[in-house]
Amino acid sequence: MNKNLRELSDEELILEFQKNSVEAAFEILVQRYKNPLTNFVFRFLGDYAVCADVVQETMIKVYRYKDTYSSVAKFSTWVYTIAGNLARTEYRRQRRRNIFSISDFGEEHKVYDLPDENYRPDVITDSGIKDEIIQKALLKVKEAYREAVILRDVQGMSYEEISEILGVNEGTVKSRINRGRAQLQELLKHIYNE
Amino acid sequence: MENDEKKYQNVINKLKGLKEVKAPANFETDLKRKINSEKFVQQEKKGFWKNILVPARLIPSLGLVAAAIVFFYVVDTNSGEMDNPFMIEPRVREDIVEVTDYAAVKQEYQKELTKQKSLKKNEPAIKHRTNENELKAHEEKKILGGEKSGEIEDRLDEKDFARDQGITEGKVTTSESTFTDVAKNPQPTAPADTDADMVTGQIITKEELNFRQVQLSPKEQKVVDDLKIQVQSLEKADKHQK
Repeated sequence: MNKNLRELSDEELILEFQKNSVEAAFEILVQRYKNPLTNFVFRFLGDYAVCADVVQETMIKVYRYKDTYSSVAKFSTWVYTIAGNLARTEYRRQRRRNIFSISDFGEEHKVYDLPDENYRPDVITDSGIKDEIIQKALLKVKEAYREAVILRDVQGMSYEEISEILGVNEGTVKSRINRGRAQLQELLKHIYNE
Repeated sequence: MENDEKKYQNVINKLKGLKEVKAPANFETDLKRKINSEKFVQQEKKGFWKNILVPARLIPSLGLVAAAIVFFYVVDTNSGEMDNPFMIEPRVREDIVEVTDYAAVKQEYQKELTKQKSLKKNEPAIKHRTNENELKAHEEKKILGGEKSGEIEDRLDEKDFARDQGITEGKVTTSESTFTDVAKNPQPTAPADTDADMVTGQIITKEELNFRQVQLSPKEQKVVDDLKIQVQSLEKADKHQK
């Protein structure tokens, strides 16, 4: 039975869970999506503990609101939309907690390149440290641009799929991705020379 | 589009080269635990009417309804027991006016009126007589040819005119002017030697006083009548003594 279920597509599995309440189908979906969603949410929030909670919350929502899923849309689009919404909500909650954020004192949308004490160009040899720098740079990119860049360049999704997840047209998605990339390039220019 | 991708190739490569972050090892067990704990907490969705008609939810609304009933029916703000200052009848000033025998008062009043009339009638009658004498003299003159009939008529007209003017100005002295005389002298018409109570009794009528209409029982009425008789007998005795 489980073997057969593993051969089913995401959409077939969710239908199986919807109509026949097959818990195994849901478990397979969790196995398939737990890592990609964790990666997406972590890149967006930058906090692993919070990211795990957000992904679990996403899965709980899929479980509870399985009947709201419509077979018209792709399951991946639906689940990424839920995860993206939850991640955004969590990010805003975190931002509200940091009342004295440096960006609040400056111009709107202006990104401050703060000196990072941990970063030293002479020790950027380890890939782990490079990842950390890129992650920090990603977190400095504006929220809307960051989400689009992660979905495109980290998760490897198509523009069409991204536009469905974000609920905006493809043109907007492309411009957001380009702006996000430009900001990242500016932030990461010191490590290109290597 | 391709140009953009080339432009940001470095960034794209770096992002693609990022290590994939994996879910924690206990992800699925944690998830199952959360789902199972939520199953107990989760309640089935109730309809609108079900939500409203739950007895526990009805208690506050029922309390409000009961309070409203108490307010409007038990605590009646418009009840007659409460004194409305605009509805209170005026108090009877028994200390000022106390009229016992209206028939006697009326008789006295009539007597006084006739006395006054007889006194006032004397003067105008004399005047009237002089006027008549004058007229007779004129007529005799006319008959004798001393005065023309037109002159006599003019004189009589002048007198009538003067009398009419006098009425309007309040200066009439003829016998018909008794009424205007009273208006001219606004002193009470009652004689000075009459009792003060009697005077007030003549002017103020029962209807004007706005007496409180008290329905007496036959027994009470008898007591009141006895008292009246006693008072009258005492008054008569006083008069006799005087």
